Amino acid sequence: MNDENVTLRLENVTKRFGDFTAVDNLSFNVRAGRVFGFLGPNGAGKTTTIRMIVGITAPDEGKIELFGHRMSAGLQDRIGYLPEERGLYKKMKVLDQLRYFAALKGVSSKDADARIDFWLERMRLSNWKTKKTTDLSKGMSQKIQFIATVLHDPDLLILDEPFSGLDPVNVEFLIEVVAELKAQRKTIIFSTHLMETAERLCDDIILINKSRKVVGGTLREVKESYGKNMIALRATGGNGVLEDRALVAKVIEHADEKELLLADRADAQMLLRKLIESGAAIAKFEEVEPSLNDIFIDQIRGADA
Amino acid sequence: MRKFLAVVKHEYRKIVLKWTFLLGTLLFPVLAAGFAVVPAIIFSIKGEPTRIAVVDSSGKIAPRLKENLSDEKIEQRAREAAEESLKNLTPDKQRDLKGDVPQIQDGFQFVDFAADGKMSEQIRAELAERIQNGQLDAYLIVPENYAGEAAKYEFFSRKAGDFIVNETLKDALDNAVRSQRLADANISEAQLKNLSRGVDWQVKKVDETGVEKEDDGGFWAGFVIAFMIYLNLAIYGQTILSAVVEEKETRIAEILFSSAKPFELLMGKLVGVALAALTQFAIWVTSAAIIAGLAIPYLAAGGLDLPLPSLSLLAIVYFLIFFVLGFFLYASIFALIGAMVTTVQEGGQFAFLPVMLMLGGFYFCFAVIRDPNSQLSLWASIAPFVAPMTMPVRIISETPPFWQIALSILINGATIAGLIWLAARVYRIGMLMYGKRATIPEVLKWIGQR
Repeated sequence: MNDENVTLRLENVTKRFGDFTAVDNLSFNVRAGRVFGFLGPNGAGKTTTIRMIVGITAPDEGKIELFGHRMSAGLQDRIGYLPEERGLYKKMKVLDQLRYFAALKGVSSKDADARIDFWLERMRLSNWKTKKTTDLSKGMSQKIQFIATVLHDPDLLILDEPFSGLDPVNVEFLIEVVAELKAQRKTIIFSTHLMETAERLCDDIILINKSRKVVGGTLREVKESYGKNMIALRATGGNGVLEDRALVAKVIEHADEKELLLADRADAQMLLRKLIESGAAIAKFEEVEPSLNDIFIDQIRGADA
Repeated sequence: MRKFLAVVKHEYRKIVLKWTFLLGTLLFPVLAAGFAVVPAIIFSIKGEPTRIAVVDSSGKIAPRLKENLSDEKIEQRAREAAEESLKNLTPDKQRDLKGDVPQIQDGFQFVDFAADGKMSEQIRAELAERIQNGQLDAYLIVPENYAGEAAKYEFFSRKAGDFIVNETLKDALDNAVRSQRLADANISEAQLKNLSRGVDWQVKKVDETGVEKEDDGGFWAGFVIAFMIYLNLAIYGQTILSAVVEEKETRIAEILFSSAKPFELLMGKLVGVALAALTQFAIWVTSAAIIAGLAIPYLAAGGLDLPLPSLSLLAIVYFLIFFVLGFFLYASIFALIGAMVTTVQEGGQFAFLPVMLMLGGFYFCFAVIRDPNSQLSLWASIAPFVAPMTMPVRIISETPPFWQIALSILINGATIAGLIWLAARVYRIGMLMYGKRATIPEVLKWIGQR
């Protein structure tokens, strides 16, 4: 991997709070111009890691490199951070808030005004420019917060649960905007619990649990490392076969079909043969790769067991 | 530096552009003007004079009483009383001063009553009837043996509760009877005047250099300055507290901390609010000076002679320095509290601590006003937390030696540096701790945290 293509590099990063290790020896790279999914259950250490990346706190051990330099206050202006816990000043006008956030990121007031106009237009919020936060709906506030994140044209965007609280129409809208930013070669770190969205957006992922990395790599690599051990089945009969734990480890019932997880030594062709032999009428039998959701649940449950 | 300035500008605008700031800024001078001028105006409105009939069969007391109760005489006596109370400059005396004002204005109107040949019972009955009819307010019966030991002066009044009228009348009567007794003892009017003249009582202040000067109303200015500093610190301390808590409550802190250093943010906040407070303070001081300039001649015309204090430029610079010191002392405490708590209400529970310190400073001002050179005044004007209020009062009462002012600035400045360091340590961690109020051991841990 060429160094120039790496936006962010974490090397053996550890952060402790007293006796508690929030992030334990974490290493990963985020490549330029890609969407990086930073996944993990609550309390896994995601927020602590992000806070170290944006320079709010410093790691106890290890190092963080951004754009090839060690993290410093000056680099903060090249990051746009949309925290999961976020808000706006209650009694302040949209325009004034955005101007302030832009100024804090070192944008001159002239540039700021032009960009605010552009982004309000893009977010279809131009009419709300002089309104106060208290007049905005939750979704609108969310979009204003997104504008505050991109106003200084950052090279690295960190979006922590950017879609929470948005209706499906606005989620699609925001995904579109993120895609545009990606097309402009911006690097995007995307942290979420929504595995379907992550699967749709991310080129690369890392899954952390209990302060440690569990799996990581391109979405493809991660999925392939799991193998095709899932079968989507729509059939009548053949129930005896599905209960054979030497063949099928788990059956997940869906409304009109079943999802089968093959047992360790079993193979799809053998299962198909057994089903036909048992006299089942098969409408659909498809080898599928595991969804990110399956991997996520499998990994987290596996660690808890 | 640019980000720091952005924070300063943001905090300043946030306060100054609010209508409550405008209201507070304008309301204070208006209220102050109200307190200063309105009573004077009200008292200057001539009330209904008391209509009084004097029954004096001797014919010797009534003329003297009338003379003593003439408008000129009353006014002269009131002015003398006012001047005297002004020279004993204590807070209690102020109230006396206010009590004296109405005496200037309430007059007496003497109603003739022909008592010749009538029986005492008949006189009383007729006069009582006149009072009932509303033709008369009061009557006084002078006994025939006016100078005798058993002489009883009887005063009947519709408004027997009006102590001002009663006191004035009693004083005038005392004087009239005393004069008559002396006249009866063959002492001439001229001798009488000469003998009963009051002393010429002049209060002068001697300062450190031994130069004597007229008392210059230092008490008033000191009191007003101390009060304005106290009020301003209390208001803007709360402003800081709620501004810090808002950024924590709304989770803006996380965005802010990813944009600028916590220390820059905290200092920017303190400086921005300080500038807003100074703006308001400057408007207050200027308007207080203007009001004083307008009100004092007005009160003087009404018989109250309040001298305008003369302030040197150096004293004004000192006031500014101590105001700023006081602001940063208390603001950093309020910021620290804000970073510890989760809501403004919770912050209010802790705010009593700085408020108590402030009140302490305000009360020490009275000790300083009474005796600016006592040991207590010396320490109160140097000790951290109280000095920002007491030192300006001390400077205006009697400027202390330079080394004391310098020491006070130094000690308070050092305290501020320590407090801001502490507040910044707590702020950078506490602002990102949501959900529950921090305990003291937790806060202590934050201070040491990387």
